[in-house]
Amino acid sequence: MSDLVTLSNGLAAAVQQASQSIFGVTARRRMGSTGVHWRPGLVVTADHTVQTEDDIVLTRPDGRSVSATLAGRDPTIDLAVLKADAPDVPAARIGDSRAVQAGHIVLAVGEGPRASWGVVSSVASGGTGAAGSVFDLDLTLYPGFSGGPLVDVSGQVIGINTSGASRSQHLAIPAVVVDGLLDGLQRRGHIPRPYLGVSTQPVRLPDALRQRLSLEQASAVIVVAVQPESPAAQGGLMIGDVVVSLGGASITDPMDLRRVLQPDRVGETVVTSVIRGGEARDLRIRVGERSR
Amino acid sequence: MVTDLPDLAERLRRITVEVADSGTSLGSGVLWPSGCVVTNAHVVRGSRAAVRLVDGSRLEGLLITRDTDADLALLRVLGTGIPAASIGESTVAVGSLVAAVGHPLGVRGALSVGIVHAVGPVRPGGRSWIQADVRLARGNSGGPLADATGQVIGLNAMVVGPLALAVPMSAVSRFVRAAGLSVT
Repeated sequence: MSDLVTLSNGLAAAVQQASQSIFGVTARRRMGSTGVHWRPGLVVTADHTVQTEDDIVLTRPDGRSVSATLAGRDPTIDLAVLKADAPDVPAARIGDSRAVQAGHIVLAVGEGPRASWGVVSSVASGGTGAAGSVFDLDLTLYPGFSGGPLVDVSGQVIGINTSGASRSQHLAIPAVVVDGLLDGLQRRGHIPRPYLGVSTQPVRLPDALRQRLSLEQASAVIVVAVQPESPAAQGGLMIGDVVVSLGGASITDPMDLRRVLQPDRVGETVVTSVIRGGEARDLRIRVGERSR
Repeated sequence: MVTDLPDLAERLRRITVEVADSGTSLGSGVLWPSGCVVTNAHVVRGSRAAVRLVDGSRLEGLLITRDTDADLALLRVLGTGIPAASIGESTVAVGSLVAAVGHPLGVRGALSVGIVHAVGPVRPGGRSWIQADVRLARGNSGGPLADATGQVIGLNAMVVGPLALAVPMSAVSRFVRAAGLSVT
């Protein structure tokens, strides 16, 4: 048998293997997504595809439907965890995502099953700054593929695919990151949602100010509302403050603020650098938790 | 036995033709057993077309029959020693490798490689396609979609973004048989 036929059979087998553990996810109006039965009773999907917290319906590999509830979500890594009762649907075979390198051939699998192929283009550091926290993919994520498995040539699941909120991205969250999220969920019983109590808008920083304060970033966020009694209020944040960094990470737009507030940071006191009245100052804010 | 991709490309080029009309390249076609060429109905607009083989030889193709619903057309070509495609009706598995040869965007005999994305209708109740995750372009129409062994499993007909749609060989064989010609 030629190498080509061997590869072809291997890829087909990998799709077959992975497809036994995926669900179609209906949790938003226009288009469904895909989810992976990661651990018994827990289905992982892309957070941006879960727009309703009630009425989540999953389609099993055999075509039957089962309802699911939201166990928790972490928008900073675009993952949501659903609880579903489908004990006869096998949990996915999870591979070691730390062994994944740029150039590895991978498959994206969607409900059907449908598949696409390509390679990992880079093992990048995502917004969290930790190396290997996201896989950049050179493959097509077809409509509905978000939340589905990234599969290696042996059929093991090494990540969760997501197009993010924009349709031009092709990324996967590595399996080790998913495991970390689920470990936290199973330990605490929920995924904490970090809360500061502040509303912000993006703002351009004037060149003169940037020069005076030695700031590299061209933009930051300006505080337009502070909730009374909130962690932000208790930390001394005020309307008009321009937040340039939080916990050591530059804040250039409101998305950055959401990105740096990972579930693990609830309870942590973060140094928040602001510009107030043209002068730089540091505030210390203790990250709170959104009530459930 | 197909040994590698360059070998697969060679074999497919031998059975792929360029279909042209008055010097304008219209698309591709597949050399079918017994002196015929199968292509898309939308590639051959008139009752004849110029057919160019990979070795540069030119033949005249005369339209035998056309099915616009199936988007298939059958041409008769006259000549001796014309190769013919190895037609396969093997089961096509999602994820398996596929290769296409055609004349996309003016490039002759270009090879594209991908995998099977799905088999079936694109829309509920629609016709069945071999849907391939492979980057094709307009000049690929009428050309072969083959599996890793070099057997032709479909006829490329349409491109929908990154997805290519091919008419399954079973439908092409049915069309040729209906024209009164045998498959072998």
